[in-house]
Order: sequence, then C-alpha cells, then structure tokens
Amino acid sequence: MAASLCHFPPAVSSSSSLFVGSKSRSLLLAVSPFKHFPSKSSISASLPWTRSYAVSNDAAAFSVASPSDLRESPSLGEITRPDFPILRQVVNGFNLVYFDNAATSQKPSSVIKALSEYYELYNSNVHRGVHYLSAKATDAYEEARNKVANFVNAADRREIIFTRNATEAINLVAYSWGALNLRPGDEIVLTIAEHHSSIVPWQIVAKKTGAVLKYVELTKEVPDLDQFKGLLSKNTKLVVAHHVSNVLANLTPITFSGSVLPIDEIVDWSHKVGAKVLVDACQSVPHMVVDVQKLNVDFLVASSHKMCGPTGAGFLYGKINLLSSMPPFLGGGEMITDVFQDYSTYAEPPSRFEAGTPAIAEAIGLGAAIDYLSSIGMEKIHNYEKKLSEYLYYQLSSVPNIHIYGPAPSDTVHRAALCAFNVDNIHPTDIATFLDEQHGVAVRSGHHCAQPLHRALGVNASARASLYFYNTKEEVDTFIQALKDTIEFFTTAA
Amino acid sequence: MASSISSSVLRLLSSPRILPNPSAFSSISAFLLPSRSLVFSSPISFQPLPKSPSLAGPLRAQQQQEEDQEATASIDVSLIPPKLRDIIALFQSVPEPKAKYQQLLHYGARLPPLDPAFKIDAYRVRGCVSQVWVRAFADPDDPAAVRFEADSDSALTKGLAALLVSGLSGSPATVIARVPPDFVQLLGLRQSLTPSRNNGFLNMLKLMQQKALQLYIEDAKAEKNKAIESETKGTGKVEKDPILDQEKAKEISRESLSPSNGSASPSISSVADKKDSSEIYGDGIGGRKKRIVVRLKQALSPVELEVKDVSYLHAGHAGVRGSADGETHFNVRAISKEFEGKSLVKRHRLIYDLLQEELQQGLHALSIDAKTPSEAQ
Repeated sequence: MAASLCHFPPAVSSSSSLFVGSKSRSLLLAVSPFKHFPSKSSISASLPWTRSYAVSNDAAAFSVASPSDLRESPSLGEITRPDFPILRQVVNGFNLVYFDNAATSQKPSSVIKALSEYYELYNSNVHRGVHYLSAKATDAYEEARNKVANFVNAADRREIIFTRNATEAINLVAYSWGALNLRPGDEIVLTIAEHHSSIVPWQIVAKKTGAVLKYVELTKEVPDLDQFKGLLSKNTKLVVAHHVSNVLANLTPITFSGSVLPIDEIVDWSHKVGAKVLVDACQSVPHMVVDVQKLNVDFLVASSHKMCGPTGAGFLYGKINLLSSMPPFLGGGEMITDVFQDYSTYAEPPSRFEAGTPAIAEAIGLGAAIDYLSSIGMEKIHNYEKKLSEYLYYQLSSVPNIHIYGPAPSDTVHRAALCAFNVDNIHPTDIATFLDEQHGVAVRSGHHCAQPLHRALGVNASARASLYFYNTKEEVDTFIQALKDTIEFFTTAA
Repeated sequence: MASSISSSVLRLLSSPRILPNPSAFSSISAFLLPSRSLVFSSPISFQPLPKSPSLAGPLRAQQQQEEDQEATASIDVSLIPPKLRDIIALFQSVPEPKAKYQQLLHYGARLPPLDPAFKIDAYRVRGCVSQVWVRAFADPDDPAAVRFEADSDSALTKGLAALLVSGLSGSPATVIARVPPDFVQLLGLRQSLTPSRNNGFLNMLKLMQQKALQLYIEDAKAEKNKAIESETKGTGKVEKDPILDQEKAKEISRESLSPSNGSASPSISSVADKKDSSEIYGDGIGGRKKRIVVRLKQALSPVELEVKDVSYLHAGHAGVRGSADGETHFNVRAISKEFEGKSLVKRHRLIYDLLQEELQQGLHALSIDAKTPSEAQ
C-alpha cells in the first residue's frame, strides 16, 4: 500500500499534470495507508463542501485536521481509494470513474489477499476432514459466518445461511418456506419497485401453491405506505420489501420520519396481521448499519459482491425458529444427518440449507470484506455517503431537462448515494455509451432489473450513477461535466 | 511487443484470403487486392503507444490494439457489399472517435422514419436495451435485391441501424447473409462482437440477415431458375466431392470468417442449384431435417434412423455465421443393411453423397453413427 503512494512526487505543483483531474492526490501523502488507519474518532468524516475546494500544496505539513481547521481534511473517498487497486486505471484514455456500485462494488486489496491466501495456505474441504488444513479451513469458514452474524446483529450465528447470492437466498425462502406455508388464496404483498429477484421466485411459487401477488404502487415516486396498510389483511402471509431501492434510492432515515419506507413500521404492521417479512437489504447492508433484531425482520437477504466481498457469496438471515421449521431447499451432502437408501434425515440449520461443498474462499472473502468495512465503521460510511448523495443529487438537478427518480433529499428524507435519471429526448443507453467512450465514466443504463418499476414510472429505461464510499466529490464533478458534454453532443448532433 | 506486431504484419501480407474455390474466381481476385487495402488503411497504426503514468492502462490498450489488428486481419473484405465498403471507408477517413460518433449520429438523423405500423414486436430486434425495429422487403424494381427500413429510440443505435440499412439495402439476400459481423471493427467504433442477449448491433445484423433469407426463400423458385441459366458453366465444378470441399471450407472458415455454407458454391450473387432439388426444397425453413430423413430412408431403407439438429451447440462459431435458419449441424444415427461390407469411411462417404445438396445449401457438418443390423446388437 505504501509503495503505491510513493508514486506521487511530494507536494509538487505540477503533480496534477501527471494525474488528469485528480488534484487531491497530493493530499494522500500525509495520510497513512489503510492498515495503519487511526481510530475512527480522529478522522473527520464531514466535508465542508460549501467552500471552494482549493488544492493545498504544502500537503506534507498537515496531520489529520479537525473540522475547524481551514485546510480541507481528506474525505473518506480519498482515504480509502488506495486500497482499491482496480480504481487506478485508465479507460478509453481517461481515468476511470466507477459509478456502477449498485451493480457491484470493487474489492479492497485485503479481500483479494484473503482469497489468494486461502488457496495458497489452507484450502481444504470444510466440515468433513480431520486433518490440519481442513480444520483451519473450517474454522475460517465458520468464523466468516460469525462475522456476518455480528455485522447484522443476528441473535444466533445459526441464523446466517451462506448462499450464492441474494437471489439464491430469496429462492431458498420461496421454495422452502413458501412451498410449505402458502395455500390457495394466500397473499404476498410486494412493492412495484422490487428487484426482479424479489418478484420472480414468488411468481413461480405462487403459481405452484395458488397464492396471489399484490403490489404496492408508487405515489410521488416512492411506494405508497397508505396503500400498503390497506393491502394488509388476514390473508397476507408474506411481505417482501426492499430496504433501499436500487432505482428510487429511498431509504429508512436514521430518525424515523414517516415519509419513506420505514422497515420497522412495516414489520410491525405485518406481524399484526400474522404475516412474515422478507427484506431485500442488498442496497442497505453495504452502506449503513443494519440491525436485524432492531428491525425484527423474519428474513433478510444480501449479496457479498455489493459490499466489497467476492462474487459467488451471499447470505440469508432467518429467525432460528423459522429456519428450524423449514424443509431443505437443495439436497445433497453436508445438509444431512443420516442417509439410507429410501430416506434421509436432515441436519439442523444452517447446515440444512448449505448442500454440497460451499464457496469456501468466497465466504472467507466476505468475512474479510466485513472486517474492512467494520474498521472504517458503517456509521462513518453512511454519513459520508449521505453527503455525497446530496451533492450528487443537487449537481445532477442543475443539469437542464433532467429528471431524477425517487424523492428529493431533505432533513427528513435521506437518499442513498445513487441517482437513476433520464434526460429529455436522449436515450439513456446513448448517454451511458458516450460517458464511457468519451469520458471513462462508468454508469449503467437499462431497467436495472426493475421492469415493473420502470413501467410504473412510464419509461423503458433509465441511466443510473451509483456511488460507494471510495468515490469522491471530484469524481462527481467529473461525471457532471462529462454528462453535460454528452448532452451537448447529442443535442447538437441531432 | 514489436515482434508480435511485425508478425501480424507478415500474416496480413502472406495469408491468402481465398474463397473456397479459387479456380472459379479469377475474375473476382482482381478486385480482391484493392479492396484488401481497406484493412491496411485502417486507422489502427503499428506505432508503440506513448508512455502514460498509469501502469496497467497502456499495457491493456496496446494488447487491445494488437487484438484489434489481428481480428481485422482476418476479415474477408470481399464479402462486404460495395455500398457498405464505401461507408467503412468513410469512417476510416475520420480518425477521431468523437467525430466517428458524430458521423454515426449523422447517418441516424438521415434515416427516414419508420411507419409506426411497423413498430411492433414482429419487427423488433431482440436483445437491445433500446427499442429497435427492422423491416425487410423486396425492391420493387429488382426482386433479387432486398431493401431495409429501420428505426430506434436510441440515437447511437439508430446510427448503427442506418449504417446497416444503407450498406445492405439493394444487395441480394445471399450476399447479405454472408456479411461477416466483424466488419464493424473496421469502422473503428468500439463495438463488441460477443453474442449476448444485449448485443444490439449483432442482433440487428442477424435479424436483417434472417429476414433477407426469408424473403429469398419465398422468392426461391424464380431466383433459382434465373440463376441456373447463368451458372450452367459453374455447375460442373460445383459437383465436387462434398467431404473434401467440406474440410477445405472448414479450414478456411477457421482462419477467416467467411460464413461457410459448407459450400463449394463459388458465386457471390446467387446460389446455383439443381432443377430436381427444387421439389425437395419447396418447404423452406425447417425442412432440412425432414429432407435428410426422406433422403436417407429412400436410399438406405434403414432398420433404425435418428436425425437430430444440434446446431445450437455450434451457434457462434465461424461455420454457422451467415446461415440464418440454424440447421447447420446434425447427428445422424442409422442402422441399415446397406452398410454391410463397407468400411467406416465408405459408410460416411455414402451418407455425405446422399446429402450432397444439403451440404451445398448450408448444411455444415454431420456427426454420423452408421451400423449394420448385426453390429447394432
């Protein structure tokens, strides 16, 4: 890590000529790389962005500043960037600006290292062996499970089941809990803004069991909470809701306001009618503190690859009494106790739902990602992203003829650090293509696995810029400039 | 790095980009050479990249350039119709990427709007994030020529569609069917050629080729009669050993991307065909399996016969491109007395001989399991 910082010549004013558009690099010299990261209290996460951002060339002189210091303290983005080797690249001749984090996040060196260390030092099959390597692998794998359980504050480590991703976790609930508990006429309530992975498995299981899907529509581009309350009935058996929308960016505020999707209230109302609640936390777990006991959800799913972990891993949280009553999802080794010719007995959760050799390295990688995130602190990440999100939103709003989906941020309404938007008369794919080709800015265009939502919004597709804690305000500036240039290109060329 | 660049230059110069049957081509080889210069005049130059601060960047970019050079070296330019070649030349004369995009948008802006009646699913190109519609119809003045119309809600995609429409309209279906998708690399736009559900350009081209072939087959009889008269000279040569020509065609299709209709048929403008086969080919797309079964049953009186279309296993490789109806690879399993006393090679030769017309019409390969009744037990 230190070696990469040595690249940058100390406090030379012409350093900016080497690094296109990244004046902030010189500030990194004074900040130690991640592994010597001081405790979170000493780093100010707040950024006085209302001031103009001047480059301070006597960078070497400053230590981590207090908010009252006139010199700008480095932002969380600047501090953490060196940990992500992939961000240091040139794409199509421009420095990469990676704004597609809602699709997948980048991985810090510590996670990449954990993966290769596993394979280099102690790769072995878990739970079965007696020898040294397999014991070590099993310990690491189960330690990863503990880490996940602590991360979401599960009461019991057995409540964490490793899956391939959040989609598989939802399918697990659908085919196991759903197939057992849903009867003809039972209702499943979802919002129209759900990701396809939260919709399609329920469509399949509803068809098999005769259950019925009911959707909460939008009002002013957020799910209509009043309509939701009206949809709940004694027939409702399950409520499926996102914690944070990957398009609308609405999320539960730290202090409850009542204007956006409050999971704890939803859980309350649902439990009163006897319904279970499954929360899709893919866009929340990576970005903020998620406490499953406080939210009192029955099921919660998340993906490793969106939270700095490797692909191929995800997890399902389920209350232990629920999981204990559920039949297996996939059958095979590991999830059994005894196997006879014509029947088998099954293991207790979590093993019951982890058939076959798991993605051991990936689970350990997820554990390493959690370690990394925890050492920064989810509160700090959330606070930084809140500011970044506001900055992104307001900068985007300044672009003429643009429409950003979801609520506008305010004191009571907090948005996630993503914006799905459309510009009049320009197709989002054209925008995304040009941003990439001519500016090296990576955004996504399409329906973002939320076709029903886009239909409800009245569009075919949208462009989406989604940020993570290693993105910086400067990148947002670059993006806005690039977007304006893109819009100009398409409006004049037409 | 320099050595690999120079080796690819050597490859460009020395490799004979020949079509399957060189002897029939003397007239065409003359204009092969000037057209190949298009590849040389591509804006991709053989200079080393200037140094750049970012470590991994230039290495990857240089690799990309080399890959591009190698890829474009294998494009058979003679398969590209003249109008499209003109368009390619135009794009190559504009070296800067931004200007290329402007050029693309310009094409799109000039594309006449599509009648809203055609903006329906039947004309929709699958696999585009934007909406794209394509329509093919026979040129009223020249029934052999296909004309296209297209539209899209995305400006860049509309540009690509316009490019394809201008470049391909007016050509006959068989020419259109053989246009290699790789030509887009000669434009210098960063267009992926990976077949995927999201590859709009590739899917557009494929749909246009498919629609053109559909028109062709509908019009097949009239075309064939016309073609037979003008091609009587060539048909003698066409009747070569299908197995040998098959292998030659495979070899060439591995190097270049000329879509192999497995074909010994040399003609660019139309497919030569025999009169009596028109009876068998009457049922158009989807009939190949039936025709194979009928033919083999007639000749072999098999105890057991199984014919299976496994073209999907080969989708995407060079031999299949240009053959839009998919029926390119089949598994044939036959048990017949006719195989008695024949070696394995002789049995395969027998089946290939029986399916000669199919091999000329787009059948690329057979996987044969030929047994006698006694062997089958």
